[in-house]
Amino acid sequence: MQTGTQARKYRLQGAGLDLALPYLMLAPGLMVVLGVLVYPLWDGLRASTRAYRYGSPVADVGFKNYVQLWSDAQFLNSLWVTVKFVALSVSIEAVLGFALALFCLHEFRGIRLLRTVLIIPMVITPVVVAILFRLIYASDAGMLTALSEAMGGGGVQILGNPLNAFIGLVVLDVWEWTPLMFLILLAGLQSLPHEPFEAARVDGAGPWRVFADLTFPMMRPVLAVAVVLRTIDAFGTFDQVFVLTRGGPGEATRLISIYGYDTAFKFQQTGYAAALFVTIGLVVLALAFSAIRLLRRVDAS
Amino acid sequence: MMHSSRLTRRSVIKGGLGFALASTALTTLGLPLPARAAGKKVIIGAFADGGLTPFKQKIIPLAKEKGFDVQFLEDEYGVTLEKWFADAQSGAGQYDLYLLDDPWVPQFGAANVLEDLGAGGIDGADKDWIGPMIDMGYWPPQNGPRVKGFEDAKPTLICVPFVGDLQTLTYRNDVFTGGAPKTWDEVIAKGKEGVAAGKIKYPVVFRGVSGNPIVTSWYPVFLSFGGSFFDDKWNPIFNSAEGKASADFFVGTMKQNAPSGVVEFDSDQEGAAILGGDAGAIIQYSGNALKADDPAQTKVAGKLDFGVVPKQQKAIAQMGIFIAGVPKSAPNKANSIEFLKWYVSAETQAKLSEAGSIPVKRSAFGIAKPGNRLIPVALQQLDAGALPRPRTPDWAKVEELLGIELNKALQAGSGGGAALDTAAKQVKDYLTTVGYY
Repeated sequence: MQTGTQARKYRLQGAGLDLALPYLMLAPGLMVVLGVLVYPLWDGLRASTRAYRYGSPVADVGFKNYVQLWSDAQFLNSLWVTVKFVALSVSIEAVLGFALALFCLHEFRGIRLLRTVLIIPMVITPVVVAILFRLIYASDAGMLTALSEAMGGGGVQILGNPLNAFIGLVVLDVWEWTPLMFLILLAGLQSLPHEPFEAARVDGAGPWRVFADLTFPMMRPVLAVAVVLRTIDAFGTFDQVFVLTRGGPGEATRLISIYGYDTAFKFQQTGYAAALFVTIGLVVLALAFSAIRLLRRVDAS
Repeated sequence: MMHSSRLTRRSVIKGGLGFALASTALTTLGLPLPARAAGKKVIIGAFADGGLTPFKQKIIPLAKEKGFDVQFLEDEYGVTLEKWFADAQSGAGQYDLYLLDDPWVPQFGAANVLEDLGAGGIDGADKDWIGPMIDMGYWPPQNGPRVKGFEDAKPTLICVPFVGDLQTLTYRNDVFTGGAPKTWDEVIAKGKEGVAAGKIKYPVVFRGVSGNPIVTSWYPVFLSFGGSFFDDKWNPIFNSAEGKASADFFVGTMKQNAPSGVVEFDSDQEGAAILGGDAGAIIQYSGNALKADDPAQTKVAGKLDFGVVPKQQKAIAQMGIFIAGVPKSAPNKANSIEFLKWYVSAETQAKLSEAGSIPVKRSAFGIAKPGNRLIPVALQQLDAGALPRPRTPDWAKVEELLGIELNKALQAGSGGGAALDTAAKQVKDYLTTVGYY
């Protein structure tokens, strides 16, 4: 004898609901993805092929915006500043993060507390970090100036000097995001098998040999993932620069995100800004794919 | 029979509906609803600036007495233009009134996102308006060159002046003992004497940050040297001999006599230098000037006086008024226009002047007891000469290009003239790209 639940189940199947049900269940999620991801992406692509005046589209211009980018000195400068910033920051973060992860792999008293303390910068809101660094760097009332004056020196010029401001921005980024590298690499190190390391120790391999022949090669995939993730993230750095330097002095810290933001929202060149961000998106994608391909090739060899 | 407690679709839906109903019932019956706002609601968007302090402290309470329920939403200057433009253009309707910086009016005007306030009953022809201020509320402009596409359009009053802010000189009366310095040379020479006497640390202070801040600080120097920005066809002419002399003076002599970190100075550091007693003179808007007599906000209360800006050829200041526009998407449009009519009336303007803010109607300058010493000086400056920035919707970009080059020259401490040449070429190229010629 069929129970009530079974009968209801067969009635639903009879209505074809069993066929439609999975799609119905997927529909809300799909609509959200279409609404917040696919449509804006499509709209952005469409905007990138239009000319805008006073915030409204006035003409279809095909790929003219994309072509124009490569003769725009401000775009090229901000792209170069961004590439330098990403390369320098991510490299330092990778080295420091790896070193810290290796150090924190050892178990000793207080290690849990140390690991927790090390990730604190990462959880602070980027805008707050930028304000804190502004209070450190400011030439009139900053902590560095106060320190320098207490030791008999003069005011410290960080934000008013192009090179110093750029280095100051890199220092901020390294301080904030090395913990992310550290966390990913520590998890990677903890997941490595013990046997090869024990065998190496039995064979009398020293720490450097173990690192060069075992740890680093085995960690390469994790390191690559961490570097690619950070690189993509660093290309989008915005908040810290917006608060700390607004791209100055001159154009010394004007990252592509700041230039794109100003172009889109301050100057209302929406189509041009869309072309800029699509181009940067493609550059970042190409970099990520290249890194992954390179990694596979190295592993295969 | 064992009772099944399995979670089924039906039970989830039933539970969800029950929860929603219960929440609604609790909200409706059990919890007090927020009290209905009394009066005519007006949501005002403004950027944070000391120049609005008298309005906030004295005029908003008055407006409440008149039956307006004013919500005053402040943001940082650097984000308001883009935020409000997006609000107006998308029709989001988050604000009833924007308190714009006057160079933004053409941008909003060209995009046709603000109400015609003349049609709403505000009289732009009232002789009591300060002429150059009400002129800034029209798009396209009634006088001067017009950008392409608006040559034949009828000027419409889309904004009304709100606070008549303009640059004036603030100086230390113990350094400039003979009154306000008349020329830039006097500012520097007497300022150096003040430094030597240990009264101040720097003769002058200004804003050096790229973009709007540095251009705002350089502009009165440029005007005083006799410079003009564009010709009638929108060709940049700011790199004339007069313009270059002003830029060289600004990045050279003025920098040498300013704090060493002036390249990174914005209005907060600039204000700290003059109110903290370090600087001898400054050209500034009313925001920090209004704090000059308050011992809680300055270390040199009683030692700061105001005057007309120094001249090289002319003593011309930059006008930078707060100007109010009503977005077409305003949810309480009628209220906001009614509020503006009340606000710009001679009576309310007199109250504004009493509260210490620079009014926008001439009659309010003549009241018996203006609330701040700055107000009569502002009128003197208006009569001596005060000009708005060029009325183009692309001013933000022009200012950015010029500001970057000036900032680079300021870092170097020389090359102001060359910076103007570079900026003029960039501005010309940009305006060509967007179809000015």
